[in-house]
Amino acid sequence: MAQPLVKKDDDRDDEAEYSPFLGIEKGAVLQEARVFNDPQLDPRRCSQVITKLLYLLNQGDSFTKVEATEVFFSVTKLFQSKDLGLRRMVYLIIKELSPSADEVIIVTSSLMKDMNSKTDMYRANAIRVLCRITDGTLLTQIERYLKQAIVDKNPVVASAALVSGIHLLQTNPEIVKRWSNEVQEAVQSRAALVQFHALALLQQIRQNDRLAVSKLVTSLTRGTVRSPLAQCLLIRYTSQVIRESPNTHTGDRPFYDFLESCLRHKAEMVIFEAARAITELSGVTSRELTPAITVLQLFLSSSKPVLRFAAVRTLNKVAMTHPMAVTNCNIDMESLISDQNRSIATLAITTLLKTGNESSVDRLMKQITNFMSDIADEFKIVVVEAIRSLCLKFPLKYRSLMNFLSNILREEGGFEYKKAIVDSIVILIRDIPEAKESGLLHLCEFIEDCEFTYLSTQILHFLGIEGPKTTDPSKYIRYIYNRVHLENATVRAAAVSTLAKFGAMVDALKPRVFVLLRRCIFDSDDEVRDRATLYLNTLGGDGEVVETNKDAKTFLFGALDIPLVNLETSLKNYEPSEAPFDIDSVPKEVKSQPLAEKKAPGKKPTGLGAPAAGPPSTVDAYERLLSSIPEFSDFGKLFKSSAPVELTEAETEYAVNVVKHIFDRHVVFQYNCTNTIPEQLLENVSVIVDASEADDFTEVASKPLRSLPYDTPGQTFMAFEKPEGITAVGKFSNVLRFIVKEVDPTTGEVEEDGVEDEYQLEDLEVVAADYMMKVGVANFRNAWESMGDDFERVDEYGLGPRESLAEAVSAVINLLGMQPCEGTEVVATNSRSHTCLLSGVFLGNVRVLARLQFGIDGSRGVAMKLAVRSEDEAVSDAIHEIVSCG
Amino acid sequence: MLLAVLISNSEGNILTERFNGVPAEERSHWRCFLVKLGADNLKGARNEELFVASHKSVYVVYTMIGDVYLYVVGKDEYDELALAEVIFIITTSIRDVCQKPPTERLFLDKYGRICLCLDEIVWKVVLENTEKERINRLISLKPPTPV
Repeated sequence: MAQPLVKKDDDRDDEAEYSPFLGIEKGAVLQEARVFNDPQLDPRRCSQVITKLLYLLNQGDSFTKVEATEVFFSVTKLFQSKDLGLRRMVYLIIKELSPSADEVIIVTSSLMKDMNSKTDMYRANAIRVLCRITDGTLLTQIERYLKQAIVDKNPVVASAALVSGIHLLQTNPEIVKRWSNEVQEAVQSRAALVQFHALALLQQIRQNDRLAVSKLVTSLTRGTVRSPLAQCLLIRYTSQVIRESPNTHTGDRPFYDFLESCLRHKAEMVIFEAARAITELSGVTSRELTPAITVLQLFLSSSKPVLRFAAVRTLNKVAMTHPMAVTNCNIDMESLISDQNRSIATLAITTLLKTGNESSVDRLMKQITNFMSDIADEFKIVVVEAIRSLCLKFPLKYRSLMNFLSNILREEGGFEYKKAIVDSIVILIRDIPEAKESGLLHLCEFIEDCEFTYLSTQILHFLGIEGPKTTDPSKYIRYIYNRVHLENATVRAAAVSTLAKFGAMVDALKPRVFVLLRRCIFDSDDEVRDRATLYLNTLGGDGEVVETNKDAKTFLFGALDIPLVNLETSLKNYEPSEAPFDIDSVPKEVKSQPLAEKKAPGKKPTGLGAPAAGPPSTVDAYERLLSSIPEFSDFGKLFKSSAPVELTEAETEYAVNVVKHIFDRHVVFQYNCTNTIPEQLLENVSVIVDASEADDFTEVASKPLRSLPYDTPGQTFMAFEKPEGITAVGKFSNVLRFIVKEVDPTTGEVEEDGVEDEYQLEDLEVVAADYMMKVGVANFRNAWESMGDDFERVDEYGLGPRESLAEAVSAVINLLGMQPCEGTEVVATNSRSHTCLLSGVFLGNVRVLARLQFGIDGSRGVAMKLAVRSEDEAVSDAIHEIVSCG
Repeated sequence: MLLAVLISNSEGNILTERFNGVPAEERSHWRCFLVKLGADNLKGARNEELFVASHKSVYVVYTMIGDVYLYVVGKDEYDELALAEVIFIITTSIRDVCQKPPTERLFLDKYGRICLCLDEIVWKVVLENTEKERINRLISLKPPTPV
């Protein structure tokens, strides 16, 4: 009796194991697709083949153009079938195949027919498919139907048209924008989803019209919004309107009541969206925050992990700006430390670290220690960074926090994690003097067993700077010299440099350091031997207890004030010759970063990391180009070249930008021109410059461009003389002048006769910042002290009422064109005062440092105290003059 | 925007996936990331229990139903709560089509209908339909019940 039962079970197992697509093969499925061409269609069989095709496509199987087109053509034959199930599959497979097939337009007529069908569902699906394959021309033809569909009484048809509109807005915005009346009508629809889709589309259509969005929000916040999704969108648009509306500073914030009322909505999604919107209001007050924090606190104990995550993530952000507002939630967050979801637990911990007080630090650290063992490295890094901030906030607690960091440093972990810990210890050593000795010893112990060369070398470098300044520098020597025995060549070389620094700074240790360095000259690696020899010669005194001279110290400890990228480019360009490489010939300017990098979030405090390298330098290329032009050959050494300034709008007939090259007594404008019209050739291209608003400049030379064919950039130049040593400024108006000749784009033949023509360009300004190079310093304080106060100039300025403190700081930085140091360009929100540190090299290669202290009062008036130190009195005065004139 | 919907079996083999606005060269990175996320957290989880993670500005909500793991990835307006809504309707539809939490075999048996459901729920980067009955009718080309 048992036998059949067992057999049945076996069968079931087999059935469960084998996939219906087992052994599926593209070639065979393509063969099967021939059933689509049968005169007597079998809808069931056809649906099965389509499913197989979908499976293959979803599995990443790629169809060649020919295969895809062939299947596509066969599929279009299935429109003959009236079977609803098959028709639905046909719509889907057309959408899936259309990106890879040719001639997809063939299906248009069938779809147009369905689009006008009496069957609503055909209409809805045909719209969606058509919009997937359509182009601008076809869209104009079907626009009428789409507009009708938007206001169709069947919500599925309306939604299909609206969602199509959202997609088409990306490719054909001018057409979709014409539908705004219909979309406006659809926003009032009784169908929840239609309203949601219509609202999304309408906002996108009007996103550049601030007033229209404001009106839309005003009317909808008073009316009824049917779906929670639409309500969430409305909250987002409301926040946008609030953000963009001018700050009144008096009375209640517009729309706040609406946001607050959404906190009582029945859908959690809406409540959360409103709470988040309130927490993100700029300059939000405690009174405004309280109801939002209360609902977020309730979400912290929700049974749904998504809600807990959302709430704790929002509270984490609030804690950065308003830690006191979040303290009420601390108990709830402590219980989240044991949450199964590690993301939630990490967010809870980092929030607690931000909101905790000095007395709760020890308790928190205990909880975190247990927690650290079972989370991944990426979470650990977040915790380490939070602990670092906490330690800087409560320096008296450094002992327990430093111990925690050193304990986790000994445990297993990847490079990024270890680097985060080491960076944190370094920052604590720098900022908390009492923590220095214990911190350095922790680092020394770490390098005894460190598997990361990068970290070992960085720590050795740091030890070389900080170690000699401690009370007992000799205790570090053992750790450093161990590296010479036990490590790879890179670390050994770093250890040799560190030993030399101890020898230079601590006279008593010099003889012993000499003994150790002498042993290193027998190392197997060239670099290690070279360094040892170099330092033995540099330190001098032949190992006696004598003071190291100043030059040697500058050599060992001086910062490399040249960007490494520039040095690398110059070295590559250097051709071996009798003349040695001259390090002074390396340009010092830090090139501006590409836009994408600029948008990156604010810099985190850097620990050991070297300053970020900029993109490859173009200074050399400019220098070579200019020196090859005889008219400019006697202008001397190029001081600085600006970033290109656009003189035309994007997508105009002629694209022109200009680079300003600054010399001691000259300024050269390099106009980079591109002709974007295939039917034209430009000849004798020059720029006519009117310098009537630039009194100090006299035109001395120009170099026109002989010919400017289509899409081949060319340059024309203008040179001006200016008084030496003066930061002459002025405005220049520009007109592009040329002879235009017609070209036959098919044959490339150029007509002989041309017509003289002109093209107005934007004005160009030479400003004070053009005479300043952005050159950073690694340690501003050291640089400031070593510069001395001989040529220090200090003055105070009233900057008048400003939008914010951050805006004032940024305006002064731009005015001076100097490099902000140590991240001081970032102003904390709501802060009333700020200190900004700037560094640069002024025309004539004079180093300049500036310390700016800002303060803002209740009426937004900003005052600034500017202290400038430089190597030249006149330059210090010039900087003050720039500020007083700016 | 809704960046991806990915469905795999419990061993990490992809059953179906839809990426929107994710460059082709980044897809395999996402695939590996999501599958690892599932392997680390979904073993032993309850059916349809939601998990959530975020990486920079991108959110991931994932869950399991029967032998099948589901992941949705979004950013901007598709934050963790909106994604929870998306994954909820996908799991509901799958359960409805398969009439129970599916085994891998059952999922593949109903593959065609599941693809249609996904097509109704998500259109490229936008959530389109959120009601089970409505989707059920739409995939058979029947008009939804009047609102």
